[in-house]
Amino acid sequence: MDLGFKGKVALVTGAGSQIGFGKAIALLLAKEGCDAIVVNDINLDDAQKTVNAVKALGRKAIAIKADITKKSEVQEMVKKALAEYKKIDILANVAGAILGTGPFADQKEELWDKEMALNFKGTMLVTQAVIPGMVAQKYGKIINISSGSVRAAFGVSTYSIAKGAVEIFTHHLAKGVIKDGINVNCVSPGWALTNFIKGDKQEAEKRFLPSTPIGRGTTPEDIANAVAFFASDMSSDVCGQILDVTGGSTL
Amino acid sequence: MELGLKGKVALVTGAGSQIGFGKTISLTLAKEGCDIAVNDINLEDAKKTVAEVKALGRKAIAIKGDVTKKAEVQEMVKKALAEFGRIDILVNNAGGIHPQGPFLDQKEEVWDKDFNLNIKGAMFCSQAVLPGMIERKYGKIINISSSVPKMAFPGVSTYAMSKSAIYVFTRGLAKSVIKQGITVNSVAPGWAITNFDKSGPPDELIKKFTPNTPIGRGTTTQDIANAVTFLASDVSGDIVGQVICVDGGATMQ
Repeated sequence: MDLGFKGKVALVTGAGSQIGFGKAIALLLAKEGCDAIVVNDINLDDAQKTVNAVKALGRKAIAIKADITKKSEVQEMVKKALAEYKKIDILANVAGAILGTGPFADQKEELWDKEMALNFKGTMLVTQAVIPGMVAQKYGKIINISSGSVRAAFGVSTYSIAKGAVEIFTHHLAKGVIKDGINVNCVSPGWALTNFIKGDKQEAEKRFLPSTPIGRGTTPEDIANAVAFFASDMSSDVCGQILDVTGGSTL
Repeated sequence: MELGLKGKVALVTGAGSQIGFGKTISLTLAKEGCDIAVNDINLEDAKKTVAEVKALGRKAIAIKGDVTKKAEVQEMVKKALAEFGRIDILVNNAGGIHPQGPFLDQKEEVWDKDFNLNIKGAMFCSQAVLPGMIERKYGKIINISSSVPKMAFPGVSTYAMSKSAIYVFTRGLAKSVIKQGITVNSVAPGWAITNFDKSGPPDELIKKFTPNTPIGRGTTTQDIANAVTFLASDVSGDIVGQVICVDGGATMQ
């Protein structure tokens, strides 16, 4: 199926990790015909690695370093992207991280603020910077990444709370901009053996498998496929939806 | 995107209407390389869809069957298996609204009709198709529900209730069979100008529904076929028991 990506420009945040969702999304969008991928990460060397992989597919790409929790850096990033490619058709808000956890009583306010800023406010800041151009061209696809942990209960986690906020943000924003030709949807991944899991990955897998009906973890390709569906015009009537890609672990 | 649908066999129920979801689903799957068993309660209608699938160079057969009757469903699946040897994809698309008045006037027979057609039919078809899928450790079941259960209309609608039962059926079945390599999901369409809503002429329906539809248009049969095709393919293999609303935002009131 032709996804109609020819000539499109995509910005993928947090796409530096070489085993993460962002890179898989950048590569799939490139493979399916996007003209250019803007690869953002807080680590420029990592972003450059993803850029090289995109270029190996014969597409254009640039690496832009930016901390998405800082408004000025986000604005600078979008300015650079527009200077290079003139437009952004697709925004995949991937950047995020789990920074810590522990019993609720012991949790520090500073950690709450960090997790909320990175996982929620960052997505809002990037989206706010990208939307004016999309409105002007009456075309845009925004795909937010939340988390299946929103529908699970692993104790109080500001990561999950922030991702819940991303889902509500998706709903509210979607209704506001659909008339401008912009689709906003959200992909909610299950556990995956990315850098999100600190420590022994095999041990984590053993811990999560029993509660995962499909019997495997979510892969970056699973997420990239769902993002490509939302990024394409084949889903143009889908507005403000949250799609769990979790192998049934959220059922 | 390579969807891996080449050579797969799909059974699409209720695919006779020439302006409905089932036909466009059949044609879209056929374009991606599937052979199609086209079911409808009206054989002549099913044959029209078959002719279009064949025009795309794929194999197709028309099978008449009332999905509310277990014996007919079993016969239908037997015929499809005799023709194609297997069913990889089942799209439970057959459904309908039976008009009803105020709750106090509603007749039990109409309730039964709505429930039988919209939920029990999907259950019968799934029950008949699953053994073959389990044997081959591969299958995709896509239930067509509706975005109506997510909204609140005045009045009591057994149609809406039966479609919300599809949500629950989808989740429960999905969890039961995923270990056997079968994914079950649902597509929930918004209002569309098909044969479904007979409460007024198309122009009037468009005028009535558009103000409550953020995207400013009705759902098209192609919108639904696209989502079904995504869920029928292996690119969505990690998506289990989900309901995707394809309704232009109509449920976000």
